[in-house]
Amino acid sequence: MEAIKNALDFSDSPRIDLIVAGAIGIAIIAFPLFPHSSFAMSTMIQFLMFSLYGMGWNTIGGYGGQVDLGKAQYVGIGAYTTAVMLIRWDVPFWFSMPIGMCLSVGWSFIIGYPLFRLKGHYFAIATIATSLVLKDLFEVWDYVGASRGIEISPIEFPTPDFMRLLFRDDIYYFYVILGFFFLGILYINWFRRSRLGFQLRSIKDNEDVARSLGINVHWAKIKTYAIATAFVSMVGSFHACYVKNIEPEDTMSLDISILIALMAMLGGAGSLWGPIIGAGILIPLKSYLKEWLGAQAGLVGIDLILYAIIIMLISAFEPRGVWGIVEKFRRKRRK
Amino acid sequence: MKALVKFWKSILLALLLLAFLVPAGAWAAEEIKIGVIYPLTGGAAAAGRELRAGAELAAKIANSTMADLPMTMAQNSGVKSLGGAKIKLIFKDHEGNPTLGADQAKKLILDDKVDGILGCYFSSVTKTVSAVCEQYGIPMINGSSTSPALTERGFKWFWRTTPHDKWFTKDLFELLVGLTEGKVKGVKAIPKKDIINVASACEKTEWGSHVSALIKDFCKEYKFKLRKSFLYAAKSADLSSEVRSLKASRADVMLFASYTSDAILMVKTLKAQKAKPKIIWGQDAGFEKPEFRQTLGDSISGILTRTVFLPKVVEIKKLAGQVNDMYKRKTGNDLGGASARAFTGLQTWVAVLEKAGSTKPADIQAAANAIYIPGKELVVPWQGIKFATTGNEMGQNVLGSGLIGQYQKNKEGKIELEIVYPFDVSSADMIFPFAGF
Amino acid sequence: MDILVGSLFAGLLIGMILALVALGLTIIFGVMDIVNFAHGEFLMIGMYTGLLTAQGLGIDPLFTLPAAAFVGFLLGIICYFGFIKFIIRGPMVAQLLGTFGLMLLLRNLALLIFGSEDRAVHTGLLVDKSFDIGMGIIVPATKLAAAGLSVVAFFAVWLLMHRTRVGKALTATALDAQGARYMGIPTERMNALAWGIGGASVTIAGALLVNFWSVNPFIGLLFTMIAFAIVALGGFGSIPGAFFAGLVVGLITEIPGFWDFFSYTFDAEWMMDVPMTSFKYMWVYVAYFLIVVFRPRGLFGWKQ
Repeated sequence: MEAIKNALDFSDSPRIDLIVAGAIGIAIIAFPLFPHSSFAMSTMIQFLMFSLYGMGWNTIGGYGGQVDLGKAQYVGIGAYTTAVMLIRWDVPFWFSMPIGMCLSVGWSFIIGYPLFRLKGHYFAIATIATSLVLKDLFEVWDYVGASRGIEISPIEFPTPDFMRLLFRDDIYYFYVILGFFFLGILYINWFRRSRLGFQLRSIKDNEDVARSLGINVHWAKIKTYAIATAFVSMVGSFHACYVKNIEPEDTMSLDISILIALMAMLGGAGSLWGPIIGAGILIPLKSYLKEWLGAQAGLVGIDLILYAIIIMLISAFEPRGVWGIVEKFRRKRRK
Repeated sequence: MKALVKFWKSILLALLLLAFLVPAGAWAAEEIKIGVIYPLTGGAAAAGRELRAGAELAAKIANSTMADLPMTMAQNSGVKSLGGAKIKLIFKDHEGNPTLGADQAKKLILDDKVDGILGCYFSSVTKTVSAVCEQYGIPMINGSSTSPALTERGFKWFWRTTPHDKWFTKDLFELLVGLTEGKVKGVKAIPKKDIINVASACEKTEWGSHVSALIKDFCKEYKFKLRKSFLYAAKSADLSSEVRSLKASRADVMLFASYTSDAILMVKTLKAQKAKPKIIWGQDAGFEKPEFRQTLGDSISGILTRTVFLPKVVEIKKLAGQVNDMYKRKTGNDLGGASARAFTGLQTWVAVLEKAGSTKPADIQAAANAIYIPGKELVVPWQGIKFATTGNEMGQNVLGSGLIGQYQKNKEGKIELEIVYPFDVSSADMIFPFAGF
Repeated sequence: MDILVGSLFAGLLIGMILALVALGLTIIFGVMDIVNFAHGEFLMIGMYTGLLTAQGLGIDPLFTLPAAAFVGFLLGIICYFGFIKFIIRGPMVAQLLGTFGLMLLLRNLALLIFGSEDRAVHTGLLVDKSFDIGMGIIVPATKLAAAGLSVVAFFAVWLLMHRTRVGKALTATALDAQGARYMGIPTERMNALAWGIGGASVTIAGALLVNFWSVNPFIGLLFTMIAFAIVALGGFGSIPGAFFAGLVVGLITEIPGFWDFFSYTFDAEWMMDVPMTSFKYMWVYVAYFLIVVFRPRGLFGWKQ
């Protein structure tokens, strides 16, 4: 009860924030009612997915201060669990998704234990290493289709199917992921005020002091990592049902890990709205840039160049991202 | 004054209303939109350019009248049964990414409202794009993806004109057996033990892994010894340990399935390490591209490749020569397996539309299932195009066939592909064994 | 048997070159405690420089080293003054993601300018020549020359760091930046110099590598990971450590070859079925992980 109350408690945010958030929230809910292209719809769904990825990443990367660049492996575990269980044992999404989360969290504990003995760049590179190793393994593991991956054939699995989360039209996916999106926000809101959230904040501030206060630093980090993993895995399972075709190269590549971290960082790691803002900027930017520059082979990669410049500017001048700029602006005004 | 303003306002309103009332479809009938999804950028951009050129050439011929070409579509301007409606190609780039390909397909179907789809070269992308088409009930014709699995899924909205890898790989083993039986032009019968050791290295993709599995199966069936078989990462920049592995296996016959950049790299590495198997064979794709020839020059003499079209076909088929000339004028290169099949794919689309007489999906589906295009109308040396409608390979063209070509130096010293299989259409003696680099 | 010797040779040769790749990283880290994610991209630029200079001027690729070194030095300095300088003041997160951004920028600029297709050296003094060292093992002359030149470059940098005034100043800054500043050594200039020298060494490695390894805009990441593994193994900041660790990692990449050897010696079917070649670089990542978790100091390093 207490937890739910906490989750719904936004009182520490300024009113203007809540009004803006509320307005945007309503706009998103109402979006499908307006005429839109399928392109806009798929961009919206991507935005919601990556917001969730980012929110998950944010727990350990933002609040926890440990930059994790290996999230793609959990996207893979979530996606593959759902896909394999569907293909082989006809297990619906709503069962395979939690199972995927358990497997991901299990794996996160296994590698988390040694991983969190590291900090900073060592940690970051180690996360990349583990993700790449897992991807390589999936590419040769025949049980999951090796490099060919797994396809959820529309012939064997006719749509629409709510239990298996298989639909032809994007709009159903939109509302499902939107539901997860709102739940995610509530969860993070609860998280930042929970005991674990406070522990993390003091660890980020000064690890030695935190330890002297009796906080089990190592364990706190591992638990947070598990939470991040659960988020990512959940969306990964959704991804499998949405895209209906998963391959290691596509689903577990380093690019995805980087994008996730980048968005959260850009928007503002360590804040509630940061990852959402980051996704809100980068996803449409990516999609529309690609569309406009499209098949003109002369301009490949411009969208990524733009990203790169944005990231470089942010990391040099405002490492706390867009949200950091907002907060700085507010502090100035208060003075 | 007021009355005048009112007058113009109402005229404007009336015009606007008219614009809404007149169905947009009335004008759209002048055009048939076909979405084409190819790898226009990324590692296979060169192939993408060829594919695009092939499709565009076919569309041009369909949309205009060229009486001297013995093709039905060249006789009319546009699709006759649809009132001369012209074919409009809408190209989208999948960059080699299956998810992106599926997204592009959705865009084409939902936003551009295409009547059908053509594509996608990479079997991995064709897989996802065809799944989208199947979901939405939009017909898709595939011209050049050869993974057998694509037509084994029981899809009702997917047709493939090109023969697939099972046939092509079988062709290879027929050639090997033919060598032992003296059936190959210019080569006396060879004892089987001389070529019994086989090794294969295939790209780690949908296509490559299927080829690898097929090679394993056929080795068992034809009783060859597969000493080493592995998959390698397609985007490798260095293949020396792979080649060393192949050399170590002491195989007489080395088989490859590679797209362009690693085909070139593989052969360069084989050359650098002075590998000397008796036969080197590539499953088309990279081995058949102009870049392959240009980059490696004379060193490819003696290498075999599965192919579906090579310039020598011009000597068998006059039509092929005519289209090849047009293609050469457009791009500067000869028609190759990719461009020829893209051309054929679009040609099939036109024939199907012609037969259907409508752009309704159900009508197109019925037409595709009943279509027959005789071989003499095709640039590729097939018996024709006719899709299977029953059995476990629905949508597969059953009248296609493959060729095996060998790079040889001709009298002028240029490297050309000669046909060595099927035996009855071979254009030159086969060089055996591979002379080494 | 020939497989074993062949793999050993190949592993050592490539190891020497990889060591040079890692050298730049360890210098920058030693002096500034910042890890450069864009390191592999520097290498990639070095490769393109070597290739294009050779093609443009019509000279042998092996003679393009000075051009590559110049480009690398310049690139390092520009990156420092233009960007790195600003992020070292910030939190770790910013540094990490900053150099990540740099990586993306360089990679996609290269994609835009050069296109995604593989390019390689096709003509040159040593191209297509090789040495047969018996047992049917062929060593391409380009690889041998590249390895040799790597060792020379390594030695040159070591001399630079330990025998010249500038180098000693750099080493001092690496050991204790504060102390060095009190002694009058300008930290800012040392930082820039570290980036310059670090950049130059990796671009030289690139110009050597391109003689037998094709280049495309995406190969940077693989080498970044390999360089990190080498530096972790040898100890962040240690130059001799980087050399020996490079050899070890070079041998690790040849694990499939050794596996082949064993599978043929024991004629074990099951061994032949294991797709070892697919895992060529995976072992490097595993090695990185193990080292960093269990022996963070590496072999020779002094920093944690």
